[in-house]
Amino acid sequence: MQQIYYIIRKEFKQIFRTREMIAIIFIAPLIQMLVLGFAITNEVKHVKLIISDRDDSFISREIIMGFQNTDRFDFLGYLNSNQGLKDAIQGWKAQMAIVIPTGFSHDLQRNLRPEIQLIVDGVDGNTAGVALGYAQGIISQFSQNYLNHPRKRINFKKVHWAQQEERMWYNVNLDTAQHMVPGIVVVLITIISMMLSAMNIVREKELGTLEQLMVTPIRKHQLLLGKLIPFLFLTFVELAIVMKVAQLIFSIRMEGSLFLLFGLAFLFLFTTLGLGIFVSTITQSQQQAMFVSWFIMVFMLLMSGLFIPIENMPLLLKKLTYLNPMRYIMYIMRDIFQKGSSIQYLAKDVLPMTFYGLVIFIFGVLKFQKRVN
Amino acid sequence: MLAIARKEFLHIIHDPRSLMIIFAMPIIQLAMFGYALDMEIKNVDLAVINYDNSIQSQHLVEQFEGSEFFNIFAYNGSTDDMEQLFLERKAKAVLIINHDFAQSFHRNISTPVQIIIDAADPNAGTLIKNYCSQVIIAFNQKYASRPTLPLEVESTIWFNPDLKSAFFFVPGLLALLLIMICALLTSITITREKEMGTMEQILVSPVKANEIIIGKVLPYIGISILVGALILVIGIILFGVPFNGSYTLLFLLSTLYIITALSLGLMISTIASTQQVAMMIALIATLLPTMFLSGFIFPLSAMPKILQIISHIVPAKYYLMIVRGVLIKGNTFFQLMEPTLILVLMTFLLLIIALRRFKGNLES
Amino acid sequence: MNEAITVKTNQLTRRFGKFVAVDQVSIEVYQKEIFGFLGANGAGKTTMIRMLCGLLKPSDGNGTVAGLDIKTQSEIIKQNIGYMSQKFSLYEDLTISENIEFYGGVYGLSREKIEQKKDELFKQLRLNEYAKKYTRDLPLGIRQRLALGSALLHDPPIIFLDEPTSGVDPKARRGFWDLIYQTAESGKTVFVTTHYMDEAEYCHRISIMQQGKLIALDSPAHLREKYQKKSMQDVFISLVKTEVGGN
Repeated sequence: MQQIYYIIRKEFKQIFRTREMIAIIFIAPLIQMLVLGFAITNEVKHVKLIISDRDDSFISREIIMGFQNTDRFDFLGYLNSNQGLKDAIQGWKAQMAIVIPTGFSHDLQRNLRPEIQLIVDGVDGNTAGVALGYAQGIISQFSQNYLNHPRKRINFKKVHWAQQEERMWYNVNLDTAQHMVPGIVVVLITIISMMLSAMNIVREKELGTLEQLMVTPIRKHQLLLGKLIPFLFLTFVELAIVMKVAQLIFSIRMEGSLFLLFGLAFLFLFTTLGLGIFVSTITQSQQQAMFVSWFIMVFMLLMSGLFIPIENMPLLLKKLTYLNPMRYIMYIMRDIFQKGSSIQYLAKDVLPMTFYGLVIFIFGVLKFQKRVN
Repeated sequence: MLAIARKEFLHIIHDPRSLMIIFAMPIIQLAMFGYALDMEIKNVDLAVINYDNSIQSQHLVEQFEGSEFFNIFAYNGSTDDMEQLFLERKAKAVLIINHDFAQSFHRNISTPVQIIIDAADPNAGTLIKNYCSQVIIAFNQKYASRPTLPLEVESTIWFNPDLKSAFFFVPGLLALLLIMICALLTSITITREKEMGTMEQILVSPVKANEIIIGKVLPYIGISILVGALILVIGIILFGVPFNGSYTLLFLLSTLYIITALSLGLMISTIASTQQVAMMIALIATLLPTMFLSGFIFPLSAMPKILQIISHIVPAKYYLMIVRGVLIKGNTFFQLMEPTLILVLMTFLLLIIALRRFKGNLES
Repeated sequence: MNEAITVKTNQLTRRFGKFVAVDQVSIEVYQKEIFGFLGANGAGKTTMIRMLCGLLKPSDGNGTVAGLDIKTQSEIIKQNIGYMSQKFSLYEDLTISENIEFYGGVYGLSREKIEQKKDELFKQLRLNEYAKKYTRDLPLGIRQRLALGSALLHDPPIIFLDEPTSGVDPKARRGFWDLIYQTAESGKTVFVTTHYMDEAEYCHRISIMQQGKLIALDSPAHLREKYQKKSMQDVFISLVKTEVGGN
């Protein structure tokens, strides 16, 4: 037992004496959190818009105002020729164009259902779709206002329709950060507990001190525990720091139990620490260890629902995600943060995550030998 | 110079692991994102709480049932415990039909239809909201006494009518891969020589400094052209990415980008003292900005000002415009002048700094 | 010798793929003996030591260390041996005290014992002036002795030294060999590998390895007599020539 203690003590001494380690553990995650938290957004804003207003009426200007009053679109100006519109979009000057045809307001008042044309640059498919959605939303808002106008009501006396009233739960402001930051937290704790632990073990391999340790009668489990426990501890420290920062800078609300969060994160760490051990057995240099753990991590991330919602994936990939422990912790993190979910609902994620985690961990431990190869 | 190139090539072959990872990653991403990144959700689980059960309400439910967006099921609980559906992730939205729906529909001008949406993922939430409104509009067109839309909207999507994500993605992977090979790997390899002291040996030989650099860098150029072409071919054949512009233009401008990336790699190698440091700097200067700050996946226009400012010095941002422009929009050189000039300027600056530092390093 | 056999191997072999690093080597080493392994780099010396220390599994053959089987009882062997690697594996970013405390703790010594050993080493090696420094700032000769001291903390009956004097200046090397003599006198078996020919003279017996094979084993005096040479260096050269010529 005391052997583990001696190793832990040595590890901490070494970690805190290395400036790079301190930077990586405390500073780098903050920077990453800041950059990623702000950069990872699927929001669409400031879409460059040109308008061809061929009607030039009170009504067409009312519609146009709807587009000017929002920061989702940056109104660049008017352009009337079709070729001009084409050149602007093809030449990267504008992303979207709206054409209000001649006689629009006239036809509208005659209930002739005139047509507004929306043209969007499809190069960025995602932004195009979202921008179209926004534009349609603005136009439909105009339609509603138009129909609800008292004078119009007389014409529509016998009309009734269903009106959608939606409530957005868990994220009233539709703030992307609320959804992404918990995911970024997962990334950060994975980096420390997997990449750094692997690099740390491989560093001793590179220096030759690992060989020296292997010659001592220290048991394998004592050696591994001694090496991993410091990183376990540091992961939690970082988790706490990162969460505080998230709260301060991104106003992330934590609806659920902190205790539950930390506890379930601990179960996830079986996976990452186990992978760390595994990587240390298959690499010879710190650089390799870093690359390999990076590779594994990116792979897990892509299949975890962080960037692409799992619901969007084709069936085969969706099924594969069930084997990925990170998928479960991603759901767990987000559900605790955003929905305040509790263990009864999360059990169905906790169990497979823990199971796979233990399997990976045991596999890593078995692969680690007190031998040189 | 050729001898140096050949030696470098052998080095690369002997370290297959790092190489494999640099290639495997984008290819896997290509595969996954190419197939998976259609932000359109389908089969959203929608629970229905129908307090009315009138014919009208059934019409409404049928409308949702018939839509390919939704996967609809009846929920027998009450609105008090419907949160369970969200916590258990059984539904992403709940449609609540009030008990007086049919009554109100006949009497009043507008009757509210309540939809509770799980907007934890705000994007999904917005999409679901839009889908719902499309269904309700369709319902209104069928059953409301008069069409509610006073106007029509026609949308045209240029250059990518099916909104295929691959169009967006493949150029990004190209930019990422090229910069990783040409900046990351070259900076590591030059630094490695410095670290191991073999640099002096080469410098003592009659080969000139320029030739040394070019020799070292040649195999990487070769590899990047090969892999770049591979990605393009896969993108075109497998994912239907078009090639609407000129081959020559793309080739020339890609060469420009490669040179920019190489200059960056060279400059990093003059700053870093060890491989470890080179790696760290290179990752921060290449991988992170290219993935997140170039417009590769996440649109720049929505990011905070400071990140947008930083993105101006990310070479990938301009190359992305170029590749997307040539492949998808069929841009001419004239239309791509701005990004081209900026890349030229960057290359110039980087090369000057790098060469000056390199000569400085030699002297010391 | 009338001492007990502490290390014994029988046709010990280790292959790495097609490459045979150690080829059917059989030796017997006695207590209180300084047993040397001489050979060029790559001759198989380090592989030999690693097998005896339980760091590598033999491909063929068997051996015992302190009466324990190296194939099946390697973990127990580790309790009874000390090891000093080529790189003097001390932690560069720890101080001398910290290194000693660490290894003492790893070997399971009690705190009092560790303190006691620490004081002994400090006195013996005159380390007081280096007390606060990190190991990486110590002169090579001091690190060398420290590494030896750490290997002996738990008082093992057998110690293995793999190229313990590499990179150290000749004066420090001689001083180090004094320490080795003291260690052997105190009843321990010292197993040493070296590629310095003059150091071979210091051993009680020397075995010469080439390309994994054992090509000679005897005391330096006997070897010099047998091959009619004045120094071990000459013995070695002629042996190597013979082997090469003979093949």
